[in-house]
Amino acid sequence: MAANFWESTQRRHWQFTKDELAAMRQKLEDEDPNLVQMYPLPHLRHLNIYFNQQINRLGKRLGVRQQPMATAQLYTKRFYTRVEIRRTNPYLLMATAVYLACKMEECPQHIRLVAGEARSLWPNEIQSIDTGKVGECEFFLISEMSSHLIVHQPYRTLTTLQGDFGLTPDEAALAWSIINDHYMTDLPLLYPPHIIALTAMVLALVLRPAPTGSQGGSSNTAAGLAAASAVLAQAQARAAITGGNNDSSGRSGSATPSLTSQSSSESQAAQLPGLHPGVQRAHDSGMASKKAPEDRLNKVTRFAGWLADSNIDIEAMVDCTQELIAFYECHEQYNDKHAREQINRFIKARQL
Amino acid sequence: MADRFAPPAFPRRAAKPDGIPFTGPAAAAQQEQQQQQNASFNALSRYVADGNGGADPADRSIGPIGYQSKVHVIDKYKVIGFISSGTYGRVYKASGRQGQVGEFAIKKFKPDKEGEQVTYTGISQSAVREMALCSELNHINVIKLIEIILEDKCIFMVFEYAEHDLLQIIHHHTQQPRHPIPPTTIKSIMFQLLNGCQYLHTNWVLHRDLKPANIMVTSAGEVKIGDLGLARLFQKPLHSLYGGDKVVVTIWYRAPELLLGSRHYTPAIDMWAVGCIFAELLSLRPIFKGEEAKMDSKKTVPFQRNQMQKIVDIMGMPTKDRWPLLTSMIEYSALSTLQPPLNAPHHGHHGHHYQPQRQNSGGSHLEKWYYSTINQHPTGSSASGATSLHSLGAEGYKLLAGLLEYDPDQRLTAADALKHPFFSTGDKVSSNCFEGLKMEYPHRRVSQDDNDIRTSSLPGTKRSGLPDDSLRPGKRVKEG
Repeated sequence: MAANFWESTQRRHWQFTKDELAAMRQKLEDEDPNLVQMYPLPHLRHLNIYFNQQINRLGKRLGVRQQPMATAQLYTKRFYTRVEIRRTNPYLLMATAVYLACKMEECPQHIRLVAGEARSLWPNEIQSIDTGKVGECEFFLISEMSSHLIVHQPYRTLTTLQGDFGLTPDEAALAWSIINDHYMTDLPLLYPPHIIALTAMVLALVLRPAPTGSQGGSSNTAAGLAAASAVLAQAQARAAITGGNNDSSGRSGSATPSLTSQSSSESQAAQLPGLHPGVQRAHDSGMASKKAPEDRLNKVTRFAGWLADSNIDIEAMVDCTQELIAFYECHEQYNDKHAREQINRFIKARQL
Repeated sequence: MADRFAPPAFPRRAAKPDGIPFTGPAAAAQQEQQQQQNASFNALSRYVADGNGGADPADRSIGPIGYQSKVHVIDKYKVIGFISSGTYGRVYKASGRQGQVGEFAIKKFKPDKEGEQVTYTGISQSAVREMALCSELNHINVIKLIEIILEDKCIFMVFEYAEHDLLQIIHHHTQQPRHPIPPTTIKSIMFQLLNGCQYLHTNWVLHRDLKPANIMVTSAGEVKIGDLGLARLFQKPLHSLYGGDKVVVTIWYRAPELLLGSRHYTPAIDMWAVGCIFAELLSLRPIFKGEEAKMDSKKTVPFQRNQMQKIVDIMGMPTKDRWPLLTSMIEYSALSTLQPPLNAPHHGHHGHHYQPQRQNSGGSHLEKWYYSTINQHPTGSSASGATSLHSLGAEGYKLLAGLLEYDPDQRLTAADALKHPFFSTGDKVSSNCFEGLKMEYPHRRVSQDDNDIRTSSLPGTKRSGLPDDSLRPGKRVKEG
């Protein structure tokens, strides 16, 4: 329900395993192999990045805040688990998702304004967008989402817990940015929002941005992953000792066995090369007020302790961490122009 | 936007291929096969142009097809009759055509019109809220949503059907001879109503429009809170709750803090309304029946003097002692322009003739109101079989006073009210509010005038002439 995530439609209908997600997407493609063959799409990760950025661009033009934008992101993701992308005009869908999300998050924007901004933002992609089209697409969107419009976001967990764990403003900002970034991945369809938020907090506590000028490399990324994993492994180990009230402790052994031996302090200063610009910025601003490393270590230890004592699914957090790190690496190869061209090709050819 | 359905050449409801004699299962199977072939043929033919890989313009035959619902209201439900209408649209009673158990109330939101043309203009925010909230809610005392169908530019929300509502039940008791609602029924209704409220409030949902007409009762005596058209979440809203809808709650049930201009209101506004409903169940009339001052041309919200006066007449003047934040209310100054309550209400209790200590006690006449109400009805006249409300006793008054507390912070919450001794003393609370009743309430009136759920809001439009048909693009794959 609205306050109870565990009974929510999000939990019951919109959270999938990776296999389920892959199967749903395969099914959509199998419905019309010709279409798929005719119009190749960017790599899924890149497609996600592209949609995310386009939605954010429209949101900025409308002066929409982060939460409704995040909701629009999720609406778009949900929709495309049910409908083959190539059958739609994604720009119209994104504009509609923003329009609907604003209503749902109680900051409504006039439909004419949304249509107008979309038209001037994407002049070549949706020339003929008007209120009628947005209104019609709204029916399509709501119908495909089975009218499940209430969305639980990780932001609330972050704002609730950041004080409890003594996150500095910079660390909190970094965690916030990581949450923003996770909308570029499948994570919102895979894990509950609190898992995302906690993962973002772990990353914010252990990640250090690469020093300027240094060459990023996979070894640094690996270190970032190791640092985060070490914290989680520590928590898992402790949970196992304290009687295993952690529901994942029983099956946690295989997930990160090699990491348990690694002390978390060793990898505290892990650097992440592919950090998203927003993340980088949030962190740069905090460099001046750099604090003693013990402070940080204490915080990390406390956080790990808390995880161990709670019923948090740490394994899910491990997976989220890996997913996010992989995303940041992948983000480096992202080519906006390429993604745009591939999408615009089928829109134009099929006159969508 | 999208060519969503594989066979675009089919009309909304797949046409049956003609010419196949329908003689038995084999024929049916054949027919089905034929249909499938048609479908796949059509789907295939649309991409032939692509497949040829020739000149791109050949692709133009694939135009975007408008949105069409996968589920069709009239295929799935049989409309029994028309129940009611409001600003949002109309409500119909229906039964299932596909073996669904029970009866249904289908709420149809009317589409917007631009002239004669029905167009998509975006779904209203209240409809979006109601759709979203009802999809999440699941509680015995909240009306259950079965499904939502978006079709022909209309929204159809299908709910479980409830035979009665509190307005109807109250009305029935005002019919001659006027006779009170049995106390066990009132008790059960109140408990169930509070139970539903508690569920809503613990889930951060404010109903914001509780009134007898919105409280449904099934023939099994289950109370169901309905019409969440004004409801919304109040957990950390992005804007103050005042921002969206300046005026909420039907005037007679509107809490004093709203009347005094409060911006950030709380679940307590629902509890005031519950108190008003309790009083109405007892007396069979709205306890604070004020007249609404209309918004002026500048769209500023006027002070609801008349309504506030009605409250003061019974509850006395609100005071800073009883309501510490009173003086920070926007309309606080307007309070001084109200008449102090008349000393004695028209009925009962002689005596105190000069102004009582209004300053200290708040000068409430609620206790007098309560006892004169529950004692009003003849206890001895067994002829009508009417029961007395006398058994509700002092706890009834305490519950009422707790709900009609001026200070929203001190007003009973739903959880508090459920634990109130009113429910643990005296008659046992039943989960069926009709338990033990020998009579049956009249059923909901269902009119036959308007049985066509699809066209009713489009008078004079033939179904074949529905605008969406004409809107459908002519660009289709040629047959064959």
